[in-house]
Amino acid sequence: MTGTNDPTNDEMLVETDVSDGLSAAESSVTDDAETVIESKDINVWYGDDHALTDISMEIPENSVTAMIGPSGCGKSTFLRCINRMNDLIDVARVEGDLTLRGKNVYDDDVDPVALRRRVGMVFQKPNPFPKSIYDNVVYGLKIQGIDGDYDQIVEDSLKRAALWDEVKDRLHESGLDLSGGQQQRLCIARAIATDPEVLLMDEPASALDPVATSQIEDLVEELAEDYTVVIVTHNMQQAARISDKTAVFLTGGELVEFDDTQKIFENPESQRVEDYITGKFG
Amino acid sequence: MATEQDSSYAQGFGQVSRTAGLVFRYLLLAATMFGIVTLAVLLVYVANDAIQPLTADAGWHLTFFLTLVLPTILVGGALYRRNREALKLGGMVVGALLVSLLFSGGVAIVFVDIIPPLTGFSYAVGLAVAVAGTVLLTKYETQIPFTARVAATGLLFFLSLFGVPGYFHSIPELVQQAPVVPTDWIILTLVLGGLTALVVGQYIARVREDTKAGVAAGASALVLTALGAIVGPFVGIDANALVVVTAVSFVPTAAYAGGSVITREELKPGLVFAATVIVGALVGAVAVDALGFAGPQAWTDWQFLTSSHSGSAENAGLYPAIGGSILLMVTVAALSFPLGVGAAVYLEEYAPDNRFTRFIDVNISNLAGVPSVVYGLLGLGVFVTYLGQATGTVLIGGATLALLILPIVIISSREAIRSVPNDMRQASYGMGATRWQTVRNVVLPEAFPGILTGTILALGRAIGETAPLIMIGAPNVVFNLPTELSSKVSAMPLQVYAWSSLFASEDFYTKAVPAGVVVLLAVLLAMNSIAIVLRNKYESET
Amino acid sequence: MSTDDLEADLTRNTENAPRELLTRSFFFLCAALSVVTTISIVGLLITEASKFFSLTAPLMGVAGETANLVDFLTGTTWQIHSKEFGVMALISATLMVTIGSAIIALPLGVATAIYLSEYASPQARSILKPALEILAGVPTVVYGFFALIYITPALRVVFPNIGTFNMLSASIVVGIMIIPMVASISEDAMSAVPDELRQAGYGMGATKFDVSTGIVVPAALSGIFSSFILALSRAIGETMAVTVAAGAQAKFLNPLNPASYLEGALPMTAAMVQLLTGDITGGGLAYRSLFAIGLVLFVITLIMNIISDFVARRYREVY
Repeated sequence: MTGTNDPTNDEMLVETDVSDGLSAAESSVTDDAETVIESKDINVWYGDDHALTDISMEIPENSVTAMIGPSGCGKSTFLRCINRMNDLIDVARVEGDLTLRGKNVYDDDVDPVALRRRVGMVFQKPNPFPKSIYDNVVYGLKIQGIDGDYDQIVEDSLKRAALWDEVKDRLHESGLDLSGGQQQRLCIARAIATDPEVLLMDEPASALDPVATSQIEDLVEELAEDYTVVIVTHNMQQAARISDKTAVFLTGGELVEFDDTQKIFENPESQRVEDYITGKFG
Repeated sequence: MATEQDSSYAQGFGQVSRTAGLVFRYLLLAATMFGIVTLAVLLVYVANDAIQPLTADAGWHLTFFLTLVLPTILVGGALYRRNREALKLGGMVVGALLVSLLFSGGVAIVFVDIIPPLTGFSYAVGLAVAVAGTVLLTKYETQIPFTARVAATGLLFFLSLFGVPGYFHSIPELVQQAPVVPTDWIILTLVLGGLTALVVGQYIARVREDTKAGVAAGASALVLTALGAIVGPFVGIDANALVVVTAVSFVPTAAYAGGSVITREELKPGLVFAATVIVGALVGAVAVDALGFAGPQAWTDWQFLTSSHSGSAENAGLYPAIGGSILLMVTVAALSFPLGVGAAVYLEEYAPDNRFTRFIDVNISNLAGVPSVVYGLLGLGVFVTYLGQATGTVLIGGATLALLILPIVIISSREAIRSVPNDMRQASYGMGATRWQTVRNVVLPEAFPGILTGTILALGRAIGETAPLIMIGAPNVVFNLPTELSSKVSAMPLQVYAWSSLFASEDFYTKAVPAGVVVLLAVLLAMNSIAIVLRNKYESET
Repeated sequence: MSTDDLEADLTRNTENAPRELLTRSFFFLCAALSVVTTISIVGLLITEASKFFSLTAPLMGVAGETANLVDFLTGTTWQIHSKEFGVMALISATLMVTIGSAIIALPLGVATAIYLSEYASPQARSILKPALEILAGVPTVVYGFFALIYITPALRVVFPNIGTFNMLSASIVVGIMIIPMVASISEDAMSAVPDELRQAGYGMGATKFDVSTGIVVPAALSGIFSSFILALSRAIGETMAVTVAAGAQAKFLNPLNPASYLEGALPMTAAMVQLLTGDITGGGLAYRSLFAIGLVLFVITLIMNIISDFVARRYREVY
């Protein structure tokens, strides 16, 4: 692997990071893992702007799939196709098939609200509601009409988001009083409280400091035991460290390569991907 | 493009001397001040006519100067140098006291004179039962289908408030026919005092972060209100009035002062300032009474506020018009707030970007420019001629004014809704919330202070409107308070207009009209200051 | 979870669940109410006004007295008792108030806007802007009273033969009332002028005076123009101040003759109030003339609002 991923990119601070990451996230996905999300020839337009071109990929169950690429390459757009957040933008138009366990989510009869209840999302900038920590976590339960022992669910979710110990004594204080990293973990707790099948993460650590970032990364790896995680990142070592599969998007909204993370970082098929990973452009 | 033009400007640049620039600057300032100064002078004139400060004894002025003005200047000056924030709090407390006193006057008119306390109480009980039932229903939110729940809630409210004539008494009827009914002051203490206690308790619990402290504060607020009613008659003050003033003015002001000091210890000196002003005013009042100094021969006096129109300017009063304005405002607020906010929510959160939406958009901004007298014609034509309503009632007056301010409410509510960060909506939709859930749980709570500010300012516009009321045939002279939505209504500006046109005489010009103008402006000032305080608080929080 | 469950779950259509349907319809109806209001205003004014004219009254099935449309639009005498409905008498008075208030409000408003946008410190702005808002917040009937009781006597010192009711004092208070409107919209337009333009001027050694008058005002011209039209439209529709101060006697005056400002006349809005305060029976000729004036007033203000909106949109596109 030496040579191919010579760290010239600013983001690649330490060379060993990449290889360490790979060994830690040693592919737990076997070839027979069930496909949760499958996209076929997805195209997205924002007005006249063709944002994504013919994206096809299969995302396996209980794994972390990373999407990397330079900014503006459409990786976040694709993520937002999965739970149809693009529907909220008037000028966005999506064509193609995207199936969740075999059901095309772009069928006319699919309700995007119901879809989003199965596909949770964590955003780039931490966005807790201006409510208490407790109310933030139970928000999804309340709006989805899920009954249960809310206190217990709050505790479990916050524990899974590795936030419980820091906030257990102040559950009724505002979520906005937390630090940036804590806010983002609160958003993760909020997303997993309703137990979705898929968790989408749109550069969840990009607004955070290094310590908070590594906490989020650890968390993502743990979450992959129970959830199918799709994470967008512009940080290549992060993708290498935590993901099982990696999709590389390059300018023009093309998916250039999609494969096991190890393969992408050690021996990519495409020259463009190799150039991108080694920092020759992007 | 810019460079070519600029170089041609440059030819003339050097010739203008510094003095010319300075003159220009002061000319601009003078132009800016022209309107403000003119209005200020006019206000001084009208206030002088209405209050006539020069008719008071010199001793009266001297006493108040010594007890009120001098201490205020001394304490205020000292605080201004050392602790400006505290001075601000002190000013706010005094302001809150004044505004809430004015407000309690309005509440007293509505809940003592317009709605007899027993009637109000019986409906309050009916409402409380219905609300309790509704809350109980929401506990089973997930088990009962939504439509059934809405129907059940509607039925619950209808049955408890109206009953089924002949079969089943409504709760207000039952309460009114009860063998033992509480006296008026007990009712007022329970309803108004109870509400205040609830609010104060919650406020204190929040700032102290201690539920027990909240309960204690609420309980002592209630006790204080009751105590006022018991002690009041012994010192010659009407029990009902004292209950209203305590519950609406004294207790909330005290809670505000206390709460601010609890959250920010360093503001304590501000209370000294507030105390100086309040105690100074009281001491001054007692002193001039004891020393026998006569106060000014003000036309804006208690008699003016509490009596109705009369042929002689000395005896004329504004009371029915004040009551009319209050009822009109309640009607306008009840109609324009939900409709305006609803339209704003539709346009910001639901509307697709199509021709119809753009048409509504342009339409609203044009409606905001339609002269008020045309809205009056609309009220006259639609409500009176086509719908056959009686002329000049509270209901059609309120409906006409509501239509008039609706565009303003919509435009300001849209601005408030637009200022809610998109992150919040994304988070909510990302959790699988529907539009309504997002609107109710995220958008409206965040936008609420802004919406409220805009609505209060719009109500301020409505309270000063006269032309639409004349158009719908509101009578020039009303001798009684309107008591129902179908009563004939007058309003403060309408009364002022009647005095200055139909009863035009030197006497009315110099006595009744200035007095009415001062009351009207005081009410407007109070409403606008509430809106501005709300806006500043809201802006500093976000 | 089996596929069937998933299918059922994903296609449950929350968009049209009763709660969503109910709330969405409510919000839509609220928004549609504004359209209903406009249609009602237009419909009402047209139907009632057409009952007034001999030309259209038969179409509306109205028998009885009617007025001639041409006489209405060109006549210069407004006398209800002698059934003379010449709206020009009213329009001339409205025009006088508009011209008079424009002479006061337009220069002062623009000067205020320049001061606020180019000269005032943030602290001064934070005091001056709310103070200006107060000018627009005082009820118009109060302004009318001020004009009648305080301003007219003051003017009598300068013009001894000024009438008790006169167009001058009415114009002054209406002018003061609309200053904030000119100032705030013009100031918005001036603040929207990009700083680079100012920098370019200063870079050439221009003084603040040169930049304000030579660069900022020309660049913001369309915004200033739009504020003028909007403010004048407000002056035309202004009712109570002119009702109280301008007079009750309809008279055709020459708006361009300064001397006529010392006399009283009856603007359109004041005439409407007068018709209503007088004893008029529903459906009579006087009652219907009310709607004819209302229609004229509405059309004038609507056209002005639309022009202002159009101009404002244009300047927003520039930057």
